[in-house]
Amino acid sequence: MAAQDVSATGTDLQGDARKRNVGQPNGSYVPKEAGDKMDEKTKQKTNSFLATLDDYEFLIAPLIFTALAFFTRMWKIGLSPIVTWDEAHFGKFGSHYLKREFYFDVHPPLGKMLVGLSGYLAGYNGSFEFKSGETYPEELNYTYMRLFNSAFGALCIPLAYFTAKELHFKRPTVWLVTCMVLFENSYTTISRFILLDSMLLFFTVSTVFCWSKFHNWRHDPFSPEWGLWLVMTGFSIGCVCSVKWVGFFVTALVGLYTIEDLWNKFGDLKMPKVELAAHVGFRAFGFIVIPLIVYTASFWVHFMILENSGPGDAQMSSLFQANLRGTEVGKDSPLEIALGSRATLKNMGYGGGLLHSHVQTYPEGSQQQQITCYHHKDANNDWFFYPNRHQPEFDAEAPLQFIGNGDTIRLIHAQTGRNLHSHQVAAPVSKADHEVSCYGNTTVGDTKDHWQVEVVSDAASNDYSKVRTLTTAFRLKHVDLNCYLRAGNVNLPQWGFKQIETTCVKENKPRDPYTHWNVESHWNERLPASDPGSYKSPFFRDFVHLNVAMMTSNNALVPDPDKQDDLASKPWQWPLLHVGLRMCGWDDHIVKYFLLGNPAVYWGTTFSLVFFVGMLAWYAIRWQRGYDELTWGQVDHFHYSGIYPVMGWALHYLPFVAMARVTYVHHYYPALYFAILCSGFILDWYTRSLHKGVQWGIFSVFYAVVIGLFWLFRAICFGMEGSNQQWKHLKWFDTWRIAD
Amino acid sequence: MAPKSNSSKASPKSSAPNGTPAKKTTVQSTPKKPPYPSYDYTSTGVRDTNILNLSSNDWQIVGAITIIALFVRLFRIYQPSSVVFDEVHFGGFASKYIKGKFFMDVHPPLAKMLITLAGWLAGFDGDFDFKDIGKDYMEPGVPYVAMRLLPAICGVLAVPTMFLTLKASGCKTFTSAMGAGLVVFENGLVTQSRLILLDSPLVIFTALTALSWVSFTNQHELGPKAAFRPAWWFWLAATGVGLGATASVKWVGLFTIAWVGSLTALQLWVLLGDTRNVTARIWFKHLFARIFCLIVIPIMFYMAMFAIHFLCLVNPGDGDGFMSSEFQSTLNSKGMADVPADVAFGSRISLRHHNTQGGYLHSHTHMYPTGSKQQQITLYPHKDENNVWLVENQTQPLDLTVDPTGNTSVPGPMAWDTITPENVLDGSLIRLYHITSDRRLHSHDVRPPVTEAEWQNEVSAYGYQGFEGDANDLFRIEIVKSMSDGKVAKERLRTIQTKFKLVHVMTGCVLFSHKVKLPDWGFEQQEVTCARGGTLPNSVWYVESNQHPQLQEDAEKVNYRDPGFFGKFWELQKVMWTTNAGLVESHAWDSRPPSWPVLRRGINFWGKDNRQIYLIGNPLIWWSSTAAIGLYLVFKALAVLRWQRNCDDYSYDTFKRFDYEVGQTVLGWAFHYFPFFLMQRQLFLHHYFPALFFAIMALCQTWDFVTNRVGSFGGFVPGVKDKPAVGMVGGTVFLAASIVVFGLYAPLAYGNMWTKNECKRVKLLETWDWDCNTFHDNYAQYSLLTPSAGSGAAAQTSPAAQGGPAPPVADDPKADVHVTPQHQQPYISDDAAHAGISGMEDGFVEEKVEYRDEEGNLLDEEQVRALEEEGGISFSTKYETRTRLVDQYGNEVFEEEEEESRAGDAGVAGTSIKGVDPETADARGEADASAVPPNAAVGEDVRKERSLEANAEGTAEPESEVGKETGRDEL
Repeated sequence: MAAQDVSATGTDLQGDARKRNVGQPNGSYVPKEAGDKMDEKTKQKTNSFLATLDDYEFLIAPLIFTALAFFTRMWKIGLSPIVTWDEAHFGKFGSHYLKREFYFDVHPPLGKMLVGLSGYLAGYNGSFEFKSGETYPEELNYTYMRLFNSAFGALCIPLAYFTAKELHFKRPTVWLVTCMVLFENSYTTISRFILLDSMLLFFTVSTVFCWSKFHNWRHDPFSPEWGLWLVMTGFSIGCVCSVKWVGFFVTALVGLYTIEDLWNKFGDLKMPKVELAAHVGFRAFGFIVIPLIVYTASFWVHFMILENSGPGDAQMSSLFQANLRGTEVGKDSPLEIALGSRATLKNMGYGGGLLHSHVQTYPEGSQQQQITCYHHKDANNDWFFYPNRHQPEFDAEAPLQFIGNGDTIRLIHAQTGRNLHSHQVAAPVSKADHEVSCYGNTTVGDTKDHWQVEVVSDAASNDYSKVRTLTTAFRLKHVDLNCYLRAGNVNLPQWGFKQIETTCVKENKPRDPYTHWNVESHWNERLPASDPGSYKSPFFRDFVHLNVAMMTSNNALVPDPDKQDDLASKPWQWPLLHVGLRMCGWDDHIVKYFLLGNPAVYWGTTFSLVFFVGMLAWYAIRWQRGYDELTWGQVDHFHYSGIYPVMGWALHYLPFVAMARVTYVHHYYPALYFAILCSGFILDWYTRSLHKGVQWGIFSVFYAVVIGLFWLFRAICFGMEGSNQQWKHLKWFDTWRIAD
Repeated sequence: MAPKSNSSKASPKSSAPNGTPAKKTTVQSTPKKPPYPSYDYTSTGVRDTNILNLSSNDWQIVGAITIIALFVRLFRIYQPSSVVFDEVHFGGFASKYIKGKFFMDVHPPLAKMLITLAGWLAGFDGDFDFKDIGKDYMEPGVPYVAMRLLPAICGVLAVPTMFLTLKASGCKTFTSAMGAGLVVFENGLVTQSRLILLDSPLVIFTALTALSWVSFTNQHELGPKAAFRPAWWFWLAATGVGLGATASVKWVGLFTIAWVGSLTALQLWVLLGDTRNVTARIWFKHLFARIFCLIVIPIMFYMAMFAIHFLCLVNPGDGDGFMSSEFQSTLNSKGMADVPADVAFGSRISLRHHNTQGGYLHSHTHMYPTGSKQQQITLYPHKDENNVWLVENQTQPLDLTVDPTGNTSVPGPMAWDTITPENVLDGSLIRLYHITSDRRLHSHDVRPPVTEAEWQNEVSAYGYQGFEGDANDLFRIEIVKSMSDGKVAKERLRTIQTKFKLVHVMTGCVLFSHKVKLPDWGFEQQEVTCARGGTLPNSVWYVESNQHPQLQEDAEKVNYRDPGFFGKFWELQKVMWTTNAGLVESHAWDSRPPSWPVLRRGINFWGKDNRQIYLIGNPLIWWSSTAAIGLYLVFKALAVLRWQRNCDDYSYDTFKRFDYEVGQTVLGWAFHYFPFFLMQRQLFLHHYFPALFFAIMALCQTWDFVTNRVGSFGGFVPGVKDKPAVGMVGGTVFLAASIVVFGLYAPLAYGNMWTKNECKRVKLLETWDWDCNTFHDNYAQYSLLTPSAGSGAAAQTSPAAQGGPAPPVADDPKADVHVTPQHQQPYISDDAAHAGISGMEDGFVEEKVEYRDEEGNLLDEEQVRALEEEGGISFSTKYETRTRLVDQYGNEVFEEEEEESRAGDAGVAGTSIKGVDPETADARGEADASAVPPNAAVGEDVRKERSLEANAEGTAEPESEVGKETGRDEL
């Protein structure tokens, strides 16, 4: 038996060998490679050189492929000295890490921190602005930063090789799958710039690899190797999700696998309940706890690094801003709010702005002065706390009167002198809520200007009798209408300058953060200045706050329906390779890169997906009709090496179809990897039992086509210099805008 | 069937020693291979429940319950005698059907046509507009009772349908009667079916489909011996007709189709596995029978409804604006005479925008208040002489007869009138001369008035009589070959056939329009801009009318292609779909799906004279039906878990039948409920009614199993199937309780008298937001008051029903003409223009009023007077007056100012996150200026606030109208 002489390097077939000893009917399938290998060893003693090559294929082939990968990903990488495509974004974010300035973006931080790290290693000081199309300055070693990125892209290739092996494909298929990843023009191009996609691809591929390893160890649960691959899978999931949220799709794949696996174990009546519980517990730890730790840690480091005030401050809570270095928030503000204080009110919802008013009026409803929520800081955000209309007029000389829980006050807009007001008029967008407007003046008005302060919590104290700058979260309850001031995530139309609609909501939901407010800036000459920002904002609150704000912004990336966007594309175009993407300007003096896949890979894999659905239907109908053909082993192979990759493809593709946000061709790249695995499976399935010579003959054709087309389209990856007319012959379709 | 497919999935374990399956459904040839199916598809534990063979005793019970339902549904159906909730829409559609005026609605036509039929038979002449909630019916003599009777009869029929469906699914007569009783006393269904609304017809057609399908399933489950018998065919075909009818009422019917479709797929799959009885030939016979009955019949039915719809609506109406020009040209009086095909220099043409229905490229003697302050360019949906443009060549023609050296060109826009027409080709440079105002189409680097995007430029009309024009007047014709029709039309400009872009030569931008309305100063016409990188469809134009003095009578003519029925049908479907998806605006009474099963909130339908109609369900029935669904889901979850642990539940017939029969109903509930979660459009409680019908069915079926069929519950609790009295007493008590609850909430359903106290007493949830203060303190106060007439309506209404791109069709059909007084105003000096709008209001001088009919034709005073005497005309002011600048001063002055102000804005734009607030820019310097707030002048504020207090919020409001939506900007 092979089980004795294989090592635990993870590159062998140990998993399969062990499987043999397990007497279960379900999953006892052993692919024939192991046996084949034995046979070949004995047969080919005559030709010792070939035999040696053959024996060490597991070492030689990946080395060659990896070398080629590094070459294709790194050759002439510094050719174009200008900021290309989304380098403008991710390079800039890297700079923010180097300058340690807080910024806001829709993607989690890990990938961008790695970009920052590459800049740090390259000795870059973060001073370059990364404006799209600009030439890199002398002192910025952009080649080094690109090389760092491309290493991730290159490392996908050995992983693809070993993954194909773990899926029990035969050698020609393993090579084909590797070739399809290696000689894929779009993978090559995207890996050569300072972007997140190479990292995303790498971690996606590594997750699939770790998962397949883990799956192959399933017959020896709780062994060290089993545990190792469990933890590795979890770690990989954590990394992929920390690069882009697209990583949740591969997480879903592993999740579905785990659910199915546990469901089968639940059905295994022979399994002791303790063992079942252990299975559940280990997976919960590996696939939930570890990824969460990795994900959270990436944010923790993110907050650690970004300690200076920067362009993303306004998205965060007031308290968080006050803790940044170089901020104005909370500096020299008096601590406790009194009548007559001037202050700005910050909405504590995720991404909430400051309570704002301006002289423009509502075009409908009451037609009074608008109230909105707005991130930009200016004097129109200032409000005076004034006594309510039942109390005596405000007297600036009278003893100070502090405001606390339960007090009824008026809020007067500092610029226009009107009162924050609400009445029984439907709000302009959220029709179920009451409209909030600015009405009257210090003397004219009614009780509908009255707001009651309800303190929800105070981060600094348990004493709710005073409202404190920054730390006190309170709600403002409209006394007459019993509703609460709320600024959700609804934007007003153009007449309201697309600012956030502010309404009075009838439902009393004390935990709704969009009804929570805090004082951000506070001025009162009669009170001593203090430092309310000394209290630290708790990490987990910032973490959740930032994540919800990211989600909200991500959903808001909706394209302008009127604008012809040549860069954006629709999901249906991707599998058909209907369009490419110009990554830079198309002038003759610019080195041009065109993001377009290898036609053989794209069309071949798309066809294979359709074919696979046909295969599935064929076998299912035949089985239902009583044709007794597939063995348990074949069913297993079909299930794990065929259905799971196709599921992976669907999980990475279909969500984009449903998404409203703007989509680009590179969103398909993770899905393409699964499509490649699927095409490998189909070829493998139908050629397994063929004669070796025939097999190699068929596969040679595929190798030649894939490599040939890569070669033909090499210029779009390595850079096109001079007039684009030189590549006119590559413009197979009008939509491939390689040449004008 | 479901249990069967389950057991076939369970196959690996069914051979396990601890199971003793009643009937083996799989066989295994060798342990190395998975077992495969082998069974007979006849279901065990099923008897023939064909309701065509119902006993006369049952029919008597059905009759009795139906009579009760008649009483409950029709009680005081004349009350209220004014428009309620969406009667605004559906009554209005009836008027339009009778008048034959084309309209657009998001729902298919069947129910609306039935309502119209009822009204028409009762003598309704279509002269009532159902404009606002609360508008009186009595005074104009609208036969609203007849119209309400149709939904009411549908609602009554739902009651026997429930009885029969339960019978067909195998329930006892008592349970079936209980189910019918619950439908009778469901407040929500009662409220909804007493008014001119679509949901009652929708529920009855859904219910009839369910009845047919349940009956067919029963026939199918009887096995091969029942297949293809007349009863089998009858119920299958009836299901198809039912599906067609349901989908023809509302698209919610697609959910019913999905329900039937998924169960059909399951049936076919089970049939496929029965290798004993079902040969390939028989299987395909099953397949084609279903394809014919469940796909072909519904589609035919659905299309037939639209065929009738098109037969009825032959005249133009307010729905035209949604449809393409080809579609519109099929409507009476909208069709146009053939137009000369070739466009030449000197032709008078009108240009139409291809993608939107904004209309014709238009200009009028009003200026932009912003930007260049030059004359406005808009899209205007009606034919008008202001739409006429003269095509000029880049250079003036040379007249060799006058000057043989060719040194003098003929000046003026009419220069081409005397020479042989020269065709406009692809790539020609042209200028477009607006004949009525002597200005040319012009564009420059100024932001458009509404869309302040950097990539769009303003388009204006610029020049004066005798002005030679400048380089910014030049546009290049670029024919879009893929959209142009015919070889010639791809090479030169042809009327209608050629679709082209107009590229502004100086800046390279393309003449563009989109669904953005100009504000009041632009009369809400559509904005036209010049865009760099706009989407292609919105940049495409074509010539609709074309006229040239030198063109011969026998010149080639063209016209719109007739789209034919299928073309019209398909276009309408697409427009309905996009309009429906666009109904996303929030509504004061809308609710989201999670709130429906728990009956969290209702809808205020109507309120007047201290009475109120508020849609709320019977909480007892509502909540217990939801509980039944929940119970089944728990049961199913446990069953699946036990199945995986090899427990042998499915060998018991009762268990299997419960899972399948109730499961089928719950699946119906799920298909009519969960898809709403995916919808972004505004949703209301009444969208839950089809699902509620299934939920009540599930409740009764569960009741029937528990009381009549289960022998014992898990071997612990003995069943009561031997003691029918227990079930009957329990059922009677439940039904009686439901009737009492119905009575408590009935005043809200009927719009009856009520008192504050009784109202508050039954308000169980905070979120049931009908207003108890509407009612009097005691009943005596009602007799003291006489109900107010329709005059009170104004206070109840909302402005929601107005607006939109609807052409100004006269309200009165007798004078099908719309008179538009057009104010003209003399030139006003520069300074006045700078003084702004407030200055203008005072300086307003009305010098001349022009009257125009809806076609834009000028009417003289005598014609107007004649029309006035005829009566029934309406005047509406189309063009208000704004400033007009003297063009000779040139636009340089203003462009400089423009740049300054933009520079000011830019400073803010750089730092802001959301849109720029111009006010903010001004106020910035004063941040620390004031320690106390300024005292504002508030006279205006107070006046506005007072006017609000007169109109309390919380009044009933109809669903958003489709017409309104196209009026909104690009949401």
